[in-house]
Amino acid sequence: MTAVQSRPRRQGMRATLLVLPAIIPVAIVVIGGIGTTVVQSLGLMPLVGTPALSVDAFESTDNLLGSALLSLGIAVVSTTIAAVVGFFTAVLIISGNWGGRIVGALSAAAVTVPHLVGAASVGLLLSDSGVLARILGIPPESWPALVAGPTWFAVIAEYAWKESAFVALIIVGTLATRITSYDETAAVLGASRGARLRLVLFPLAAPSLLVASAIAFAYTLGSYEVAWLLGKTYPEPLSVMALRLFNSASLTARPEAAAVAVITLLLTAAIVGVAMLGLRRMRAWQ
Amino acid sequence: MSVSTTSVSLDKPVVHPPRRMPGDHGSPLTQSRGVARVLRIVSTALIALWFALPFLPLMLWSFANQWMHPAAFPMEAGTDGLTAAIANGGGRAFLHSLLLSLVVAAIATPLGAMAARALSRGHVRFGKAITVLLFSPVLLPPFAAVLGLNVLLLRAWVPPAVGVVLVLVAVAIPYTTFSMRAAYAAYDDGFDDAARTLGASSRLTLWRIHLPLIAPALARSAFLAFLVGWSDYLITLVVGGGHMITLPLIIASSASGVGNESSVAVLSLSAVIPPLILLGFIARTRNLDPGKQR
Amino acid sequence: MQIWLPFRRAASPTTARRRILPVLATAAVTALALSACSAPTNTPRGPEFFDWADVQIAADGQTVKLWMWGGDDQGNAYVDDVLAPAAAAQGVTLERVPIADTKDALNRVFTELQAGRNTDGAVDLVWINGDNFRTGKQADAWFCEWTDLLPNMTLVSDSDPLLTEDFGTPVDGCEAPWHKAQFSFVYNEATVPNPPTTIEGILDWAEDNPGRFTYPAAPDFTGSAFLREVLYSVSGGYENVPSVYSDDAFAELSPALYERLDQLAPSLWREGTTYPATSEQLTKLFADGEIDMMMTYGPATLTALVENGTLPETTRVLTVEDGTLGNASFFGIPSNSGNIAGAMVVANEALSVEQQVAKADPAVWGQFTVLDLDALSADDRALFDALPQSPVVPTFDILSQNANPELSAEWVPALDDGWRTTIAAR
Repeated sequence: MTAVQSRPRRQGMRATLLVLPAIIPVAIVVIGGIGTTVVQSLGLMPLVGTPALSVDAFESTDNLLGSALLSLGIAVVSTTIAAVVGFFTAVLIISGNWGGRIVGALSAAAVTVPHLVGAASVGLLLSDSGVLARILGIPPESWPALVAGPTWFAVIAEYAWKESAFVALIIVGTLATRITSYDETAAVLGASRGARLRLVLFPLAAPSLLVASAIAFAYTLGSYEVAWLLGKTYPEPLSVMALRLFNSASLTARPEAAAVAVITLLLTAAIVGVAMLGLRRMRAWQ
Repeated sequence: MSVSTTSVSLDKPVVHPPRRMPGDHGSPLTQSRGVARVLRIVSTALIALWFALPFLPLMLWSFANQWMHPAAFPMEAGTDGLTAAIANGGGRAFLHSLLLSLVVAAIATPLGAMAARALSRGHVRFGKAITVLLFSPVLLPPFAAVLGLNVLLLRAWVPPAVGVVLVLVAVAIPYTTFSMRAAYAAYDDGFDDAARTLGASSRLTLWRIHLPLIAPALARSAFLAFLVGWSDYLITLVVGGGHMITLPLIIASSASGVGNESSVAVLSLSAVIPPLILLGFIARTRNLDPGKQR
Repeated sequence: MQIWLPFRRAASPTTARRRILPVLATAAVTALALSACSAPTNTPRGPEFFDWADVQIAADGQTVKLWMWGGDDQGNAYVDDVLAPAAAAQGVTLERVPIADTKDALNRVFTELQAGRNTDGAVDLVWINGDNFRTGKQADAWFCEWTDLLPNMTLVSDSDPLLTEDFGTPVDGCEAPWHKAQFSFVYNEATVPNPPTTIEGILDWAEDNPGRFTYPAAPDFTGSAFLREVLYSVSGGYENVPSVYSDDAFAELSPALYERLDQLAPSLWREGTTYPATSEQLTKLFADGEIDMMMTYGPATLTALVENGTLPETTRVLTVEDGTLGNASFFGIPSNSGNIAGAMVVANEALSVEQQVAKADPAVWGQFTVLDLDALSADDRALFDALPQSPVVPTFDILSQNANPELSAEWVPALDDGWRTTIAAR
């Protein structure tokens, strides 16, 4: 065996050993989680009784389409706001002046807030008799129905708030190192602010902006606490429906809950898949 | 030609800290003037307000013993909320949360860094498939873990604490891998090669050259992994099976009651402090980041 | 490294190595999943005890995890500061697991049983009743026939229908009573000077005062109980609603209920376009003065909420002539608990006169006792009589006048689902 031959092989093995420890827990959780959810949705893992293959669970759930559209709507709107606000926040933070530092600290604080706390807090802030209504002295009757209203305002606001901080953190964290030098170069070469934003900052930030948005989107589709606490009774997003079915004190609702989970998973995977294809094209022209 | 490029202010270079390196934030080259400056201040204020506003109820409620509608501000300030939070086991839950999050960060960060290192050098076969796999936990709705995974873990006799750590590590790995890949994309292997050429052993190179160089990125990844553990509710509740009462669990159960606003606010604010301290440390790790020195 | 040696001579070793890994993982996971498919046989299990002394010996040194809703500071404090020390005195460590919903505990037990974990469950004791109890019983999730062994069960009447049946499900010694509750309507005396006195009167009042009334969305426990109250009312009294569920009875009686609620909806808070998700959100609306009347299945907590300023001082409980639903809540022991004896000791201790008196004090928790007061000794009885009277909540005797029995638990999901599809979706 010559050195020339063994080198790539050793490198390959070393690479495998480096990747393996990360793959094992992820594979167990992802394959196990998806597998058991699919198996349950097909009636093969009943709580009581004998397993029997059926797709009943996918058919018996009412208003699935309405819920799916609602979930998508909430996720698209809140992720779009989060992406825009997050990008500009990152630009401010990267600029590094005192304003950027304040925004950086505040957005970092927002990242650390668990969504559950965020939902409780946004609820206290925006409800009919919440902190804002109290401070502004507006009586509940005249306050718009932001919480549990037809616009899902509070739900979207909470997701947009938390996820914009996340988007900013990711963009700053991954690109601060490169952006400033390019930006300075562009400035030296005479590019205007707008041009620098459009031609330097945005293209450089785009890949991580897309990845962060995809993560935020998937999270928004999959989490239930916020929509459950701040949302309207009917129609309900997919995740709320899944949890309600799972928690309904009935022995037969578990397959239905699993079916809703499978549909949520497919939706998420489809949309994030498209985003990742977009990322590949972006990398290609960069 | 814009205003900013012509106004390189040579008259006040002393303002900047002496350790400033080329490529650091906030160069005079990119500072704005005039209308742009006003616009910038306004937008900064708006964004600051956007992030700060949801903290307002927490701040006000934390110190409110009594605050009935429609009083604009708390009617009676005090520490009832803090007392109730402690009585509900907030202190112990805080320690549990801290321990869990640190363990998750301590495991997920090196795993993510190793995977990112291998993937970024392109020696891994099926690199794309593995990248997709390592990214996939973010697509998995937490309630899918509740529904299915827990049956598997129980069936395999995985102890609840190990199960929680396993699932949270898997959820954290996409974040650590992604953030380390970005760091390795900008990493110059020349440093390692130079050290090896000069006769350093591979272990010495790793500890004295490689790790210090990627330390800031590692810290950022660890922070993200810490947050995964810190903010999780559903997985800790369901997989943990009551063996681990963390801060979000206490917050959720308190928040499900009525008249607990002030203790929930105290618990919530205390949940923001540790990650912020961590973030402060990270910001202080003065960059030896190769990306910045280029 | 040794492990990989066999693959070294393969034509493309790295490929083989990496291909085998996902395959192995998938195979292992699939095997596990498939083995999970054979539904575990849930035959009633648990240890057998001959007498109480036997239980006490087995209980010594055990740690009991009590899963209970954690949203009530008074309840949490009672368990931590009063019940737990009493259990500790008998060698049992009591740990409270605070949850946001009792179903979290039930789902944990179900998942453990689904996974075939039949002897070392994480849940030792649950505060439970109603449809949660029934579902658990259907799945054979409870340890049963243990309450007769508890010495303090002699203090409880064995003919009290509230305690022998839980929402129509025979208790069968599968749960030990803890406290009684009465569904109560609550109003603000300052804004409702002349409160109605019947359920129908409340609905009429709501229509005369648009936007000042609402109820929690089913399947919330309280919202779902409100549906049953209105069902009794529109059916002309509980006597006209068969306690045992049948599709025929549902088809005959439920249309009048939904018609009435449909008619009511435009007069509700936010014109009935949305409903509070939980009874706590409802209480919040009342506390903030957005509505003038609300309801609760846990009147015990009202006293403290008025005292700490969450609710206005003019909060009063409404006694309605047609009576309201009453129920009891219990301690259940999952059949797969590893600390059954310890859990029994805690349940027994919770039934003692001292504990029931302490718990009934409005300053502690204010929960109504399950003990048969007439059968107590004069001294014990005096302890209950000496309890301070709450300024907000009437005594149980007054509150439970004309009490209506709960419907069998099968009614609950049927009414809830009907409400979702007809009223919530309107």
